[in-house]
Amino acid sequence: MEKNNTEEATAETHASAPILIARDVDVFYGKKQAIKNVSLDIPENQITALIGPSGCGKSTFLRCFNRMNDSIDSCQVSGNIQFAGQDIYGPKVDVVALRSRIGMVFQKANPFPKSIFDNVAYGPRIHGLSESKDHLEDIVITSLRRAGLYDEVSDRLDEPGTSLSGGQQQRLCIARAIAIDPQIILMDEPCSALDPIATAIIEDLMDSMKEKYTIVIVTHSMQQAARVSQQTAFFHLGELVESGDTESIFTKPAQKQTQNYISGRIG
Amino acid sequence: MPDYLLTTSPQMAKRHARHLRFQWYGRVAIAVSISFMLLMFTAIFVRGAGAFEKTMIAVDIEFAEAVIDPRGTRVEMDLKQGNYKPLILSGLQEVVPSATERKERNRLYKLVSGGAAFDLGERVAAKPDMIGTTQRVWIAASSEVDLYIKGKVDPESDEAVRRLNDQDIAWVTTLQQEGRVKRKFNRVFFTSGDSRAPEMAGILSAALGSFFSLLVCFLIAFPLGILTAVYLEEYAKKNLLTNLIEVNINNLAAVPSIVFGLLGLAVFLNFFNLPRSTPLVGGMVLALMTLPTIIIASRSILRSIPQSTRDAAMGLGASKTQTTFHHVVPLAMPGMLTGTILGMARALGETAPLLMIGMVAFIVDIPKGITDVATSLPVQIFLWADSPEKGFVELTSAAIMVLLVFLILMNLFAVYLRRRLESRR
Amino acid sequence: MFKKILLCSVAAFGLSACGNGGGSASDTSEGTAETTPFTTGRDQIKIVGSSTVYPFATTVAENFGRSTSFKTPIVEATGSGGGLKLFCSGLGDNFPDITNASRRIKASEVKRCAENGITDIVEVKIGYDGIVVANSTKSDRMELTLRELYLALAKDVPDGNGGLKPNDYIYWSDINPTFKSTKIEIMGPPPTSGTRDAFVELAMEGGCQTFDWIKALKETDSDTYKAICHAFREDDSFIEAGENDNLIVRKLNANPNALGIFGFGFLDQNGDSVQGSVIDGTPPTFENISDGTYPVSRSLYFYVKKDLVGTVPGITEYLTEFTSVRASGQDGYLSEKGLIPMNVDEHAQWQSQVLALETLSLN
Repeated sequence: MEKNNTEEATAETHASAPILIARDVDVFYGKKQAIKNVSLDIPENQITALIGPSGCGKSTFLRCFNRMNDSIDSCQVSGNIQFAGQDIYGPKVDVVALRSRIGMVFQKANPFPKSIFDNVAYGPRIHGLSESKDHLEDIVITSLRRAGLYDEVSDRLDEPGTSLSGGQQQRLCIARAIAIDPQIILMDEPCSALDPIATAIIEDLMDSMKEKYTIVIVTHSMQQAARVSQQTAFFHLGELVESGDTESIFTKPAQKQTQNYISGRIG
Repeated sequence: MPDYLLTTSPQMAKRHARHLRFQWYGRVAIAVSISFMLLMFTAIFVRGAGAFEKTMIAVDIEFAEAVIDPRGTRVEMDLKQGNYKPLILSGLQEVVPSATERKERNRLYKLVSGGAAFDLGERVAAKPDMIGTTQRVWIAASSEVDLYIKGKVDPESDEAVRRLNDQDIAWVTTLQQEGRVKRKFNRVFFTSGDSRAPEMAGILSAALGSFFSLLVCFLIAFPLGILTAVYLEEYAKKNLLTNLIEVNINNLAAVPSIVFGLLGLAVFLNFFNLPRSTPLVGGMVLALMTLPTIIIASRSILRSIPQSTRDAAMGLGASKTQTTFHHVVPLAMPGMLTGTILGMARALGETAPLLMIGMVAFIVDIPKGITDVATSLPVQIFLWADSPEKGFVELTSAAIMVLLVFLILMNLFAVYLRRRLESRR
Repeated sequence: MFKKILLCSVAAFGLSACGNGGGSASDTSEGTAETTPFTTGRDQIKIVGSSTVYPFATTVAENFGRSTSFKTPIVEATGSGGGLKLFCSGLGDNFPDITNASRRIKASEVKRCAENGITDIVEVKIGYDGIVVANSTKSDRMELTLRELYLALAKDVPDGNGGLKPNDYIYWSDINPTFKSTKIEIMGPPPTSGTRDAFVELAMEGGCQTFDWIKALKETDSDTYKAICHAFREDDSFIEAGENDNLIVRKLNANPNALGIFGFGFLDQNGDSVQGSVIDGTPPTFENISDGTYPVSRSLYFYVKKDLVGTVPGITEYLTEFTSVRASGQDGYLSEKGLIPMNVDEHAQWQSQVLALETLSLN
């Protein structure tokens, strides 16, 4: 709401200004604390990877950015997360509007049990983004193109989304997410269920997407983080251990724990 | 070859034996249940098959104007209520001239159905130009003759204990020899309401009563049940209150159905003054009874819808309500419909709650809507099973068959709906 | 929470059901409510009551419906007591116009009716019903006295020394040495049935009173008298067979040694498979029940609200049909359904009394 947090936002220097700023974020599931006092900046038009061993809270933290944790009754989020200068947990923030700006792709490809076209068209429809039928078609085709899927499915847009292969389904989900033209796309281990070829396609896709979108990706694979991201944040037991340029994290980590993780000793 | 790879090793043999044994247990269990079912169906079929045919007697009737319409008015009501008994009787006497005494004539007339005279009245009222002609008319035989023709009366047994005496049987034989007795499809069974005379009793009023009750039941229970289930599963927070409601819904599903009848009596009839014995109230009571079943079934279906579907929609910025009604409910709908139809199938077979609200009654007229008095199929079965006249034995079984057909149709409809809705994915 | 509401309403119903003696104010106001939102004047007669009278009432209703322009009346089998309770709950569209009873109306019921504004009731006696003790035609016809019947069925029987002993008669020959030594097995209706009530009153009490000291108790200690005379034995010699008399008939066919207790109508319809035992020297025949010589017989009635004559169409015509000679007379069609008609004089007297709409007074 007010842009008076700019001094704090310069804790680390990046190539571009941060679009998401998290400060002192705590997340509780009931009495169990899943995220402990995490502060992190997400720079615009870059890919930020959240890495760490299983159960370290990286997915939970990711889901704080579009308030997906809201639907879990026992989940409590405190602290401050700003998106474009606004506190997304502020009382007047409409979570529907927030999610239309911050899209999400999930670990398991979850296309709706509808046609490929309707999958992509769903978001624009509910947000009223299309002025006409032709415009909607435009949006769907552009989104599918951007997700690198259009050539594969152009002749069968009315077939169910669930009939595609795993990698195609995941790209359909990406197309669906970008159809509402968000600024940020959160990706929660998008390749964990895919084979190496499908994974490579998606990684290429992400690389081309970062021109237009800011991407935050949670990944299990350090190689993937190293391949695709510019920024990396390492989580362990709910705490942010270390964050910074991917290159420096992987080549000269400041913390011993980071060192241990990337060399395979924990995780 | 090492012996652990061979089925002859003692451990492998034991495992195979267990595997085989279990398969056989399963097969025996299935065979037992199927044979019970077959036994039941055969018993019902053997007993009830006769009801679909009834015995008719051909009588040459002189439609004398002097008897039917002495004033020559041709008013429909007068034609219907004309005195057709002497016409039938003289027609019968032509075949059996020996029956002249009053008592004999009375017995002779009892060979035909008591409803035959009314039936003739209807025919003449529909076609008044029959008056003045003589025509051979097939009229329904009495239930006793019908049973005799169907071989359910033993002519060798002691005459005193039979409802048809030797004289009656001799007359029937004479009629048979002249080709005046035939069995034909029992249309009356499907087109009329209850009657005290088995040969005139039909299932239609009960079937329509069931239909209207279930219609009301569906219109109330389905939306209420679905909305309750959706709200509890998708919106309500888990707290003491919702837990309490959940426990109580589960309890309600196990409450004996007669309790819902009592509730209906106390609330719908005595408090709201709704009309007694009507499918409206019957359907409301059955709806109360089916609601818990529908809610429980729908909730478990909703719970089986993967969270990823909800995440996908919410991640795109769909609101809770959009997520629920665009994605979750359509996915759950086939299952919820199946649950509803199975619940209603149970309601179709209920008599106990209907007893309390006056639907266990003798009703001849065919109900035309939800506020007309009516009974229901299982009630009709119950009433016929309790009737002293022998002719009702086969009607009871036939009515059970009709009820079973209804049940099968409902279940098939459930399967059809499920297939259809699922194929849309 | 739902359950609580449910329990409350069930409890409320229970209270109103029990409170028939009290006749609460709410009953009265409900009863006199003349218009309801869903019915606007009724064109169909509503009949409730005894399941014994049900076959006769339905037969008349059907004939009435076919032979007149009125709608066929609705007949519900609610039992005599249940029918009278509904009948006396009030005047109005939602209350029955006529109730059938296999016993006469009680003074308490007349009082409840009066409290709800039903002061003029027309009583109609329609005939008699015999309760028979029958067995399969495969075995010999039994000849019993009421005393023997009582000894075979009672929970406790006199021990011969002015006291009681638990019923230890197992074979018929234990009761009377001239009987065969087959096991006593009697199937009868449950306590909820009107047939059972009548059987207790006529047969059990009849047999019981043949013991002078028990008869004397009736005046001095009626509670003990009832306990002795009304209690059925609880061992396997008496089997409660449910309300369905057809079931008893079928079970008798399967077990030729057993006896069954049911209404004459079922004997009449199933004469080829069951036979009625001779009781006190009288076989249960049409004539014997009609003239009152058969000891276990009762009168059947129905009751009409006089105020509704002229309001609900067809009531007068229904009464005319029911009391006509061709229906309830000597050779009327109801006699084919098992009704034992009154003799000609009694029938004529009731007929004129009913058609004049003379109202009931129990004094």
